[in-house]
Amino acid sequence: MADNVFKKAWGNDIFRIIVSLAIVGSASGMALVFVYNYASPKISINIKHETEKAIRNIFPGTEKVGKTSEKGVYKAESGKGELLGYAFVAEGNGYQGIIRLIAGVDPAITEMKGMEVLESSETPGLGAEIANPPFRNQFSGLKLDHAIEYVKNQKPQEDYQIEAITGATISSRAVVNILNKRIDEVRKLIKAKQ
Amino acid sequence: MIKDFAKGLWKENPVFVQVLGMCPTLAVTTKALFGLSMGLATTFVVVSSGLVISSIRRFVPDQVRIPMFTVIIATFVTAADYFLKANFFQISKALGPYVPLIVVNCLILGRAEAFASKHGVARSGLDALGMGVGFTCALVVLGACREILGAGTVFGARIMGEGFTNWIIMVLPAGAFITLGLLVGGFNIIDKKVSKKKG
Amino acid sequence: MKELILVFIAASITNNFVLTYFLGICPFIGVSGKIDSSIGLGIATTFVMTMAATVTWLIYYYILVPFNLVFLQYVTFIIVIASFVQFVEMVIRKVSPPLYKALGIFLPLITTNCAILGLTLFMVLRNYSFLEAVVFGLGAGVGFTLALVIMAGIREDLVFAEVPEPLQGAGITLIIAGMLAMAFMGFGGIISG
Repeated sequence: MADNVFKKAWGNDIFRIIVSLAIVGSASGMALVFVYNYASPKISINIKHETEKAIRNIFPGTEKVGKTSEKGVYKAESGKGELLGYAFVAEGNGYQGIIRLIAGVDPAITEMKGMEVLESSETPGLGAEIANPPFRNQFSGLKLDHAIEYVKNQKPQEDYQIEAITGATISSRAVVNILNKRIDEVRKLIKAKQ
Repeated sequence: MIKDFAKGLWKENPVFVQVLGMCPTLAVTTKALFGLSMGLATTFVVVSSGLVISSIRRFVPDQVRIPMFTVIIATFVTAADYFLKANFFQISKALGPYVPLIVVNCLILGRAEAFASKHGVARSGLDALGMGVGFTCALVVLGACREILGAGTVFGARIMGEGFTNWIIMVLPAGAFITLGLLVGGFNIIDKKVSKKKG
Repeated sequence: MKELILVFIAASITNNFVLTYFLGICPFIGVSGKIDSSIGLGIATTFVMTMAATVTWLIYYYILVPFNLVFLQYVTFIIVIASFVQFVEMVIRKVSPPLYKALGIFLPLITTNCAILGLTLFMVLRNYSFLEAVVFGLGAGVGFTLALVIMAGIREDLVFAEVPEPLQGAGITLIIAGMLAMAFMGFGGIISG
């Protein structure tokens, strides 16, 4: 009996469309919930590993990466529990899209220890060079009593300057601006706590 | 049956002959490895959506065929995207938004509409697999050409001597277009020679 | 205001969707044979892009994010775009039959245009605000139209050129696109100011 009613209804176009769309839609939803539950813990572990690896590169000898009360600001500690410095994630607009980087400063925030690019969509071969050592390494050891500046086509004169990448001034400037802004914020946060 | 599989490799190669699915083809092939990953992800989506669509093809009302196919494809693409993010984090970061863009790869909807919705499960699976493999090969070839000239390496292994200056143009968008254009031309030359021999 | 202008210029010229992100290549290669039809397709796409950016932005930030449903993003976006295109088609047919006649045939093509889905994905990735998203959609559409029309112009003249046989069709179109991409790279300096 019920079978017959269903068969009759199946002849109706609207009914058929609604039922089949509903079935496909809910099947898709359920499948994705399953996928999401499988993948999301792994994804957050990946992100955590990436952050910790970058922090270890900036502060060699880091044994423990500790969180602070502020999101995206981490403490790098040596094996003896000594504070090596603070690392923080900073992001802003580059030439083609968001640049996300992680940078490290000493505990007193007077000197930069280094920076690593986590994510960028800058032009390969030009802007994307911000992630490579020749540019990146310029940041370790910069003095922070002055805002970071960039110079074009010449060697830096002051200990707060870096040389911009030829042909990728916009990307270089973006990194400098992102860092300056975030360093100020982090300095205020940490001063407020002390 | 074999023919269903083989045609995707050469005679109806999705990239060189049908010129389908261009945006991932051009965008991610700065390195051979990225081409390979994108090719495999696309193969996964085209095969699994082909299998599902051909097995439910009798129950799909004609009017809502396309939206239903699209939902099925988008589901598999999301799965592929999360899988890459979970297990191959670096690759997934490099491919970026081009993984979700597999949804609108005309190749996949094209196979669903032209083949999977009209044929049985086994044949649809083979057809999709052939197209996927053909697509992957094309991406790897293109990626390898651009990587050799643009960075002097293939799959990360250095093959050009130290004195080699990278042709940055090859990894830029312009290089992608020109390389693919020349490869399509080269494909046509070979194809013509082969068919002449046969004829 | 300055931000919005920057977004517009970036989307339409310096980061042209077709020539730097390879989005919307299918119609670019398939349709761009004639200037008239390129303009038609361009206008229809610009309209859909602007509206799609608006609608998906609202859905993403007011439904998907608050209810923690971000994993449904791709499925939702593609459904929104597909139904939106149908809706536009219906409205234009009712309201302005002449416009429908001019644009009608292009509308179904737009759903599978990767530029639209690409636009919505980039919009989320770059954390655009609502206004920025709308301007971004408009700019991307204008850029798409621009690339399409330039290409059509070149191809109309290409009829008289002697193209080597293996390169005829897709091959030469791709190579020309490559040269256009190089030309557009020259605009890269505008924003740096």
